[in-house]
Amino acid sequence: MGSGAAGGVIARELSQAGFSVVVLEQGPRLGPGDFEHDELKYNYLSGITCDPKVSPQTFREDASQLAQRPPMGNSLVYARIVGGSSTHFTANYWRFHENDFNERSLLGGIPGTGFADWPITYQELEPYYTKVEWEVGVSGLAHASPFDPPRTKPYPMPPLPVKSSGVLLERGARKLGLHPFPAPMAIVSQLYRGRPGCAHCGFCIGFGCEVMAKSSTLYTMIPEAEATGRCEIRPHSYVYHVALNRRGRTTGVHYFDVDKRDQFQRARAVVVSANGGETSRLLLNSQSGRFPQGLANSSGLVGKYLMFNQGSQVHAQFEHELNEYKSVQVTRILHDFYDADLKRGFYGGGGIDARMGPQPVGWALASGAELPRWGAEYKERLEGFPRAMIAAGHCTSLAQETNSVSIDPTLKDAWGIPAIRVTYKDHPDDLAMAKFLQDRALEIMQAAGAQKAWRAGQRFARGGVHLLGTCRMGNDPAASVVDKYHRTHDVPNLFICDGSSFVTSGRGQPTMTIQALAFRAAEHIGRFAKRGEI
Amino acid sequence: MNSPNEDPNDNSRRDFLLSSGGWLSSAWIAAHLPGIAAAAHHAEQMPAGASGAHLQFFSAPEAADVEALCSQIVPSGATPGASEAHAVYFIDRSLATCFAEMAADYRKGLGEFQSAFLASNAAPSFGAASPQVQMAFLKTTDRTPFFETTRMLTVLGMFTSPKYGGNFQAAGWELMGFVDRHAFAPPFGYYDAQYQGFVPYAADKSA
Repeated sequence: MGSGAAGGVIARELSQAGFSVVVLEQGPRLGPGDFEHDELKYNYLSGITCDPKVSPQTFREDASQLAQRPPMGNSLVYARIVGGSSTHFTANYWRFHENDFNERSLLGGIPGTGFADWPITYQELEPYYTKVEWEVGVSGLAHASPFDPPRTKPYPMPPLPVKSSGVLLERGARKLGLHPFPAPMAIVSQLYRGRPGCAHCGFCIGFGCEVMAKSSTLYTMIPEAEATGRCEIRPHSYVYHVALNRRGRTTGVHYFDVDKRDQFQRARAVVVSANGGETSRLLLNSQSGRFPQGLANSSGLVGKYLMFNQGSQVHAQFEHELNEYKSVQVTRILHDFYDADLKRGFYGGGGIDARMGPQPVGWALASGAELPRWGAEYKERLEGFPRAMIAAGHCTSLAQETNSVSIDPTLKDAWGIPAIRVTYKDHPDDLAMAKFLQDRALEIMQAAGAQKAWRAGQRFARGGVHLLGTCRMGNDPAASVVDKYHRTHDVPNLFICDGSSFVTSGRGQPTMTIQALAFRAAEHIGRFAKRGEI
Repeated sequence: MNSPNEDPNDNSRRDFLLSSGGWLSSAWIAAHLPGIAAAAHHAEQMPAGASGAHLQFFSAPEAADVEALCSQIVPSGATPGASEAHAVYFIDRSLATCFAEMAADYRKGLGEFQSAFLASNAAPSFGAASPQVQMAFLKTTDRTPFFETTRMLTVLGMFTSPKYGGNFQAAGWELMGFVDRHAFAPPFGYYDAQYQGFVPYAADKSA
């Protein structure tokens, strides 16, 4: 299930390994000619994302509240098309660092949280990070950051051309003794495997790429899977139930086709890669006598430990034009604050990048205590758009069992399937880390010579696009949903691989790791199958 | 629902996949997102320099008040404001089409806004009041949901694609200095044009 960042990789790997693969995707299949520069449609009318009109969700901060539908949009945002969220992502492709995988051992526990080590190490995942960079296509400069984790191969192509925002972040950060470096991006900077280099149109975040330069699975893994002749991508196929037989094995999935007709796809093994929201929803809705609280949920942890990644922003305006609306979002980042430092008084770590932020509407709607919202001063800010940039902090979210994806007791979607209920409240340390990065970003912008700098508003997250942790990976079946190979502890031929497998949140850019996990998972699933262990 | 043991019949799906070439056109979007199509259609029907006769949702007095409110949010001047961008016409059409689900609440909020204004001002309406009076009143109401919604709709009306009825003659994009093109080439701005290249840290003694 799912043709996104993980599903696309797994489909290619398994089909190239000789297996027959059917990929069931909720949404339609679009191509480069279908994507448009249309902020209203894409960002405010769910042009390619889950549409709250037909796929509603509810939200509450904690279990004491009655969950309600958000006034505009859903809490969990993901692209509902072939390629999934890899079609509309920003394409920041940081690797996790070594300490992301064993931070619990390094720092100790954090009371009231599910802070834990991963069952795998960075060293185990490194070959798959390299595979992502070369197979999917990532631009970057190896060893540019003194904080980079070890790597076995350089990037396959140079970084994208630096933008003025990157130059200014670099200028300010270097003055402060920090170490900015060219951002690794899953956007090709030159002709790569038949795809042209970026045309710098500026519509990456939230949009599908019109020239196929963004390394979405739509343009990379999926065509290669189909080229094997053993993979069928089946759009408009909405899986709502995973079937189970008396022996406790899945036999396939029930789904609705484009005409809302009920269909069944038989399978020897089922891999769920529907994202950290929909994967949990599918399992929780797949109840049976054996699993009354949801499939593969003997631990009771399906849907728990939802993490979004907190963040913060500083808006800055400079003397000369930057024209940030051109080209990719990010060209320089820094990881000087990546590691947690308990001397700060709280847990957390993160990175800061230079970006344009959203396109004109989103940029104009940004609000916060220090940002003018209307009148002459607001108009002056709007006129400053060509001279403006954003320094954004991206950071950790702690795993808390109370933050979850669950099933709303009353709300159903347009197919009659129970809807997602999101329960989420940031840990105080998440907000403290975001604030810490905002303070540093402000210093950097001032050091770079900003004429004006504003803090964007900081608030509790009420939703996100990084949907992490809800079927966490672990060795203990009582404390996790999948094992280190992404096989569910409860059902031997059911695998889960997407953001839901995460144990910790990383520092804000998860897709690179989702895809590295997917390459690794596919390799093991293939081995299990060939050894008759599925 | 089918049982897990029922044989799947994939023919219709495969036929569909083959007949569409696996690639659906933008017609799919129009078919599945009627609100978008309707909004774009209304916008295309709207003549330049639209008048009250072309309003789809607001009455003329309502439109006058919303127009004045939009003009306070992004005033006119040396560069275009909300009025020049026809933001009010975007709001009118969006409440009749793609944002129709919020139309009732919006009208209620507008009524409360108007009543509150009349209760504390001598002017016959918000739209008829002087800019100074409007501004003073807004300072007391600019945190209300109605104001926030109007602000959002004003921004959308100024900076979304002109095909939706706002951003008249790309006035909003002119204000922001935004150019909608499908390709650009570096250098993009002043600072990257001056950039000398990335200096690796191993060779950078000052770092």
